[in-house]
Amino acid sequence: MVKHEAFTLLTENYNEMINITKRVLEAVKASGIKEGLVAVITKHTTTGITVNECLECLESDIDLALKRLVPEDIPYCHARMLHTYGSTAGNPTGHIKSMLVGNSCMFPIIDGEVSLGGAQDIYFYEFDGPARRTINITVIGEN
Amino acid sequence: MRKKPFVIDIHTHPAFFEPICENEADVEFRRKMLGLYKNGKAPLKHIYNQMDYAGIDRLVILPEDLTTNHGGTVVSNEEIKKLVEISPDRFIGFASVDPRRKDAEEVLEYAFMDLGLSGLKLHPSKQEFYPADKMLEPLYKLCIKYNKPVLFHAGLSWEPDALSKYSKPENFEEVAYNYPELRICLGHFGWPWVKETAAIMLKYTNVYADTGLLYFDNAREFFGHVFEKELGISWIDRSLRHQVMFGSNNPRFEQIRMLEALQGMEFRESTLELILGGNALRFLGMEGKENG
Repeated sequence: MVKHEAFTLLTENYNEMINITKRVLEAVKASGIKEGLVAVITKHTTTGITVNECLECLESDIDLALKRLVPEDIPYCHARMLHTYGSTAGNPTGHIKSMLVGNSCMFPIIDGEVSLGGAQDIYFYEFDGPARRTINITVIGEN
Repeated sequence: MRKKPFVIDIHTHPAFFEPICENEADVEFRRKMLGLYKNGKAPLKHIYNQMDYAGIDRLVILPEDLTTNHGGTVVSNEEIKKLVEISPDRFIGFASVDPRRKDAEEVLEYAFMDLGLSGLKLHPSKQEFYPADKMLEPLYKLCIKYNKPVLFHAGLSWEPDALSKYSKPENFEEVAYNYPELRICLGHFGWPWVKETAAIMLKYTNVYADTGLLYFDNAREFFGHVFEKELGISWIDRSLRHQVMFGSNNPRFEQIRMLEALQGMEFRESTLELILGGNALRFLGMEGKENG
């Protein structure tokens, strides 16, 4: 059995980490699937999904590390008019951070529960906000 | 602590704001007319989030009446009124009228008197007219009568079926000369003819220009090139400081990054405050009404 669900976020900052663990757990519970896998996948190329420990110190460190790895003020090529959009490209750092963080995560479902480690939370990362974002949750398995 | 400057984005297009996107055919017409092919509908909460993040207090929202040459409006005056009614503390609405409409004067007077709109947007390239054409005289006179400014598209237009020949900055000199009491803004600083725009602004103090230009590179690089190399580095700060207004042309260009780029330029702080909002208040005839 496969169950798909999607939800939307309106982010409020240029770069932002949003803990979406609760939303994923609810989706798994609603699916009724007892044994299987859950995949969490963003629909965008300037956002990320990853797993880490929910501590404000780590959130700051991760944000700082990404900003050092991908500075804003270097001459990226993705800074030009795009004919297919009719608008300017101006978010190269968002694309690169998205690539570094990845667009998805996956967890086993055992006996109806998402098998998260004690320090594991699921984060949605905004790298070009504020924006409207959609995240897919796909649950695969058996009742 | 220094007070945050009042910030107005004088040039935005609300074509994809959700409350006026109920009809999918209308939205597709807008995408085609504006040449903005991938824009999705934007909930107002998202627009507010963008404004709050950037520190923008007001957006001037612009319609586009293309009745005679394209058979419709990109956004109508009534839709602008609807958005202003939803968020009077965030939006300032302009009117548009196709100057070739037989009822153009009635439409504009209705927009000013009954809809309470704050100015007139005209797009010579898309609406296919020269700004000094006699056909425009009654509209300019109505703007003077009701003390409303005119924001013109000027320079290159990215919209399809919109030739630059109508919107070259030199075409606006006759309007500035014939109607010295009419406040006019040359959108996009008339790019690529920015020196011509600067020359007309220098001579005619009723001529303003907005910063809605981002055709190459990123905002910091392009503003640096245009305002510090193509124009003398001190021209705006010394001579045009009362006539330049922050305008983003959002959603075509990047509102937040353009604002950050302006804030990073070598202007006097008082000049920056004028560009970010002070000049727009005077252009709109709203000086002293920041909180109203």
